[in-house]
Amino acid sequence: MEQFIISPSSGIPIYKQLYSQIERMVLNGYFSVDQRLPSVRQVASDLHVNPMTVSKAYGLLEERGYLKRLRGKGMVVTARDNEVLQQEKLIMLDEMIKELLAQAKHMGISGDKVEQMIKHSIANELNETVGKE
Amino acid sequence: MTCIVNVKGLTKSYKNQSVLKELNWQVEQGDVVGLLGKNGAGKSTLLKSILNISDIDSGAISIFGEPSNQLSSISKARIAYVPQENDEISWLSVKDLINFRKQFYSTWSDEKVTELVSSWEIDLAKKVAELSPGQVQRVLIILALAPMPELLVFDEPAASLDPAGRRDFLKEILNLVSDENITVIFSTHITSDLERIANKVAILDKGQICYYNDLDVTKESVVQLTVHCKKEQDITIPYLLRGKHHSQGQYGVVSQLDQTWLTEMKEKNVEVTINPMGLEDIFLELTA
Repeated sequence: MEQFIISPSSGIPIYKQLYSQIERMVLNGYFSVDQRLPSVRQVASDLHVNPMTVSKAYGLLEERGYLKRLRGKGMVVTARDNEVLQQEKLIMLDEMIKELLAQAKHMGISGDKVEQMIKHSIANELNETVGKE
Repeated sequence: MTCIVNVKGLTKSYKNQSVLKELNWQVEQGDVVGLLGKNGAGKSTLLKSILNISDIDSGAISIFGEPSNQLSSISKARIAYVPQENDEISWLSVKDLINFRKQFYSTWSDEKVTELVSSWEIDLAKKVAELSPGQVQRVLIILALAPMPELLVFDEPAASLDPAGRRDFLKEILNLVSDENITVIFSTHITSDLERIANKVAILDKGQICYYNDLDVTKESVVQLTVHCKKEQDITIPYLLRGKHHSQGQYGVVSQLDQTWLTEMKEKNVEVTINPMGLEDIFLELTA
């Protein structure tokens, strides 16, 4: 089973692709607290990538507090304070919003227009949810 | 770090055509190096020269710290080489060829051979001459892996393999390099293979290794930049390989990202977009 998807020919280094995927999977609860991640060897062999690349991603996730290394168990998801977790999620969203605004700016679309579009989308989403019930 | 291959001032020419010019290169233990170069850049010549398969005009090459033209037989047994073209005795059956090669090594792994022969569906009874180019390449790879070498040199290993064959081959290399003492050098045109398994990329151009760096660092430094500025703002992009001006600013490819310059641009309120590039594009830019 391949849990992770990478595109080797992308300009983004593979370790970074893995890092952001796992970061997201921890934040959205796909990997729960104390859950064990597949071994470096396993991931490397599934994705056909150099084990050093996987180690690098895991190392970075450990450094940033998402994972911890347990002796004999490999990498597991760290238990984190809800507040910290919330903070991480907001930071991630904030980056996506910045990217969105930058793109809009290049297209010559104002911040007000983007805000209006977001509000519109939220309203639509609400309507759909209501409709389904 | 232990230097496994050390090349100093390697010069080589065929008749009056110069191929390698004062080439210097050091490969360290545990590295998986992808060697890129245009057709005719001299990749095969370089690999053969390193292994003392072809004569050189001048220069000094050492492998495992020994001069490559006076390698001890112990050191020779630690090296595996898969040439681009089959130079094995083709009238032998695969089985006889394997047994013939086995005699030269003290560290031959029969288990490895059996495992690969069965998973790669090689017909041992067939003569080498009767095999397809892809099958021959697989046999050559088996012969290279069987003695459990510490330095592997592959010249276009995947050239005659189909996608599934290439994946099988990559998998074997990855199995090998989970042992951090093993060093691999392979030349290739298939940059996506390199991107998967290599940690270092080397580019041979105009007779020299013009670029040698960590693959991840390469992807993070050789990038395309778009600078959103007005024409009258006179902005010079540092480390620019190639660039163009247009009405909304300028864009270009840099060989290195200058952080100080980026901060400076931010202070000037000039927006800079960084677009990463795949290795194929990076290679084309660096050798343009």
